[in-house]
Amino acid sequence: MFYHKRLIEFGQLTLSICGIIAVWWIVAGSGAISQDLFPTPALVFWAAVELYQDGVLISDLKVSMTRAGIGFSIGATLGILIGLLTARVSIISIALEPLLTLLRPIPAIALVPIAIVWFGIGEGSKYFVISYTVFLAVWLNTHSGAKQVAGTYIKASRSLGASRFREFFEVIIPASAPHIVVGLRLGAALAFLSLVAAELSGASAGIGFRLQDARQYIRTDRMFVGLIELGLLGAALDMVFVSISNRLVHWENA
Amino acid sequence: MNAKVHNDSHLSDIGRIDIEGLSIEFKSPDGGIVHALAKTDLVIEAGSFVSLIGPSGCGKSTLLNAVAGFVQAATGSIKLDGIEVNGINPDVGVVFQQYALFPWFSALGNVEFALKRFSLSKAERRDRAMAALKEVELEGRENMFPGQLSGGMRQRVALARTFVSEPKVYLMDEPFGALDAQTRIVMHDILLRVWEAHKATVLFVTHDVDEALILSDKAHIMSSGPGRIIETIEIDTERPRRVDAIDQDFITNRNRIIGLLRKPSE
Ligand SMILES: Nc1ncnc2c1ncn2[C@@H]1O[C@H](COP(=O)(O)OP(=O)(O)O)[C@@H](O)[C@H]1O
Ligand SMILES: [Mg+2]
Repeated sequence: MFYHKRLIEFGQLTLSICGIIAVWWIVAGSGAISQDLFPTPALVFWAAVELYQDGVLISDLKVSMTRAGIGFSIGATLGILIGLLTARVSIISIALEPLLTLLRPIPAIALVPIAIVWFGIGEGSKYFVISYTVFLAVWLNTHSGAKQVAGTYIKASRSLGASRFREFFEVIIPASAPHIVVGLRLGAALAFLSLVAAELSGASAGIGFRLQDARQYIRTDRMFVGLIELGLLGAALDMVFVSISNRLVHWENA
Repeated sequence: MNAKVHNDSHLSDIGRIDIEGLSIEFKSPDGGIVHALAKTDLVIEAGSFVSLIGPSGCGKSTLLNAVAGFVQAATGSIKLDGIEVNGINPDVGVVFQQYALFPWFSALGNVEFALKRFSLSKAERRDRAMAALKEVELEGRENMFPGQLSGGMRQRVALARTFVSEPKVYLMDEPFGALDAQTRIVMHDILLRVWEAHKATVLFVTHDVDEALILSDKAHIMSSGPGRIIETIEIDTERPRRVDAIDQDFITNRNRIIGLLRKPSE
């Protein structure tokens, strides 16, 4: 039953990808648009092979994944910790909430110049931009989750004699977990967005750098390789996230 | 654990509640004051089973929440075995209508939660929680999560979670209100068995007259505007009682209570 459903889902996915490639091929091959501007799937495939043979396809992937991974880890950890504190400790909440509300609307890409000034064009500035973006998303969700923990859980916990310490770890955190997980998923998607923003300037490797580099030579086929990589990676990451979070907050789907 | 004295009348010497001149007020959203409970005096004998019956909004939950330490008194005092109740206190166990089980813990985990304040070994804690689950007939379901259990089973877990740490008092706010009639009858049997085995005082809120008559030693009838106790009925029917074997006393009490509840509050 379960595998049957999986099989149908897989079939649908394959079908829709084939459909997209077919339409793309027809449009790009029709001659209506120059293939230098809008390459066919075949040209993009050969560009990928070329990048692979040069060794940059894999090394870019490694560089970008490392940046996104480190940035995500820092941002997510801080976001969860600070979110729990701002929601549950009123003094911290009063001090930080307005500040964070002001920081929220600033897009990641706007931070790149200042990050480069502060942290140089090395890895530091990339980690900063990515972790900051992830942090905001995770903080917001954690904060709202921990703020709306049902009063009956707290009452039950206290009348069962739990200390505040135990209440925090065994009630507040699990009760907020569904929101935290939503924040992490959003954060993972944003890590990708800000990764590219950070790599577009001041980088010498990575998927974002390769996109920018291809622009210099008007290699749209190579740009497409980068875009497809980002799409596939992002989708795969999201799928992994959903399956982990379903397990983590299993009671939510019961 | 306290070794509670067992005597014939099922009254013990632990778990007496003395409520004196208790009144409770809330701020209403428009800035006014809601008199949720008018000055109330009430003695609940140790080990007795006492019900509060009354129309919705008459202050039953408010009174219960005050004993639980969830709400503050405007005037008066509540004493448990002579000691003033001020704040939430694990000697007073609460069973909520909406169960308030922690969905992230299994049935066993929920019951163990109540035992973590004692310094028990892991094995001992587990054994005691398992024994409590067995007492409410949930053997074999200890690893299920609340979301996988029926309403009746959830409330049994909640009951086990409450009595496992041997509180002196169980406060129950319409605990079976959401259950169907058949499940309720089973729950009544289980609750009475637990109460008799553990010798606690029970303060039970209901708006079901039959439920109060089946379960309690005394029923306090409340009326609203502002909330107060208008009548107390002693229920002397012999235990064990059964809904399918009611006697004349039961019917007399039933008519009396329904008559009181029907009276418009002046
Ligand atoms: N937290 C609160 N804030 C304001 N008013 C409340 C609050 N809790 C209860 N009340 C009011 O107090 C009165 C008694 O409520 P309650 O004790 O819940 O009644 P019951 O449980 O008998 O239905 C009602 O008028 C209710 O609206
Ligand atoms: Mg109520």
